[in-house]
Amino acid sequence: MNNHQKIIEYKGHLSYEEIGTLLNRMTLRLSDMGLKLPVKKRIYSVMVEILENIYKHKSDIINETHLSSFELEKEGNEFKIESGNIVERDSVDSLKTKLDLVNSLDETGLKELYKNTILNDKISEKGGAGLGIINIAKISGRKINYDFRNINGQMSYFTVNVKLKF
Amino acid sequence: MEPYIREATEFTPKVHFDAETNIFELSGFSRPENVIGFYKPLLNWLEKYQDEVLVKNVDFDKSIITFNAKLTYFNSASSKFILDLFLELFKFQSKGNSVVVNWFYEDGDDEILESGEEIADMVGMQFNFISY
Repeated sequence: MNNHQKIIEYKGHLSYEEIGTLLNRMTLRLSDMGLKLPVKKRIYSVMVEILENIYKHKSDIINETHLSSFELEKEGNEFKIESGNIVERDSVDSLKTKLDLVNSLDETGLKELYKNTILNDKISEKGGAGLGIINIAKISGRKINYDFRNINGQMSYFTVNVKLKF
Repeated sequence: MEPYIREATEFTPKVHFDAETNIFELSGFSRPENVIGFYKPLLNWLEKYQDEVLVKNVDFDKSIITFNAKLTYFNSASSKFILDLFLELFKFQSKGNSVVVNWFYEDGDDEILESGEEIADMVGMQFNFISY
């Protein structure tokens, strides 16, 4: 039996309204699958943070050959979220540092980091509070797999892979 | 002082802050496109409420402020501002006003419950957790 199920797939330029549409579609699909509220909320939260991250970078660079992508699939008793989007090369180092830090921490460490960040960090111009990645790690309880592929001197393609187990 | 009222939208929660009754409500879903634009006016309103309403209350019986939070979802950028709202309320409490926070969560919604517990812990206030 094939227990590999694609729930949501998206490729293109993501608008704010489109995020809403994808979230609504995902909620309906998960309800059809008979999942309980806490499970749905966990998937929902991770999906929001990832989609909003893509959206925050959207207006900076438009590149037709490296479109933003998002995928949610179920494999056995695991949900897998994969995303890809362009980021400026200048932000690669700070993103890497943050992801490595988050991946090195256990549940207690993540809670502490979340607390310090929410109490001390300012909201950026793009509306980011620096909490998205920490939140994803907190909810997933697993390492966040990521990769940066060099496109040119200014741009990299950033892919993220998050797994949620139930 | 005029109340601050915003109806809920697909992306933003309902806000009903009333200086007459001292009852504040924040309910629904929070994922504003412009999170600063949505939450900054609420924080400004609370500051004005402190300056215009609370400081003028010289009675022995200070105001009893009730904050009803009935959120169904908020993204991480919103959580930063929701924390700021409660930090303002904590200031009111530190000045001798009594602040009652009712944090509602749907039965089984661990995420909203835990978020409330985290906020209560961070601001150092006691919340009433009420399931529905």
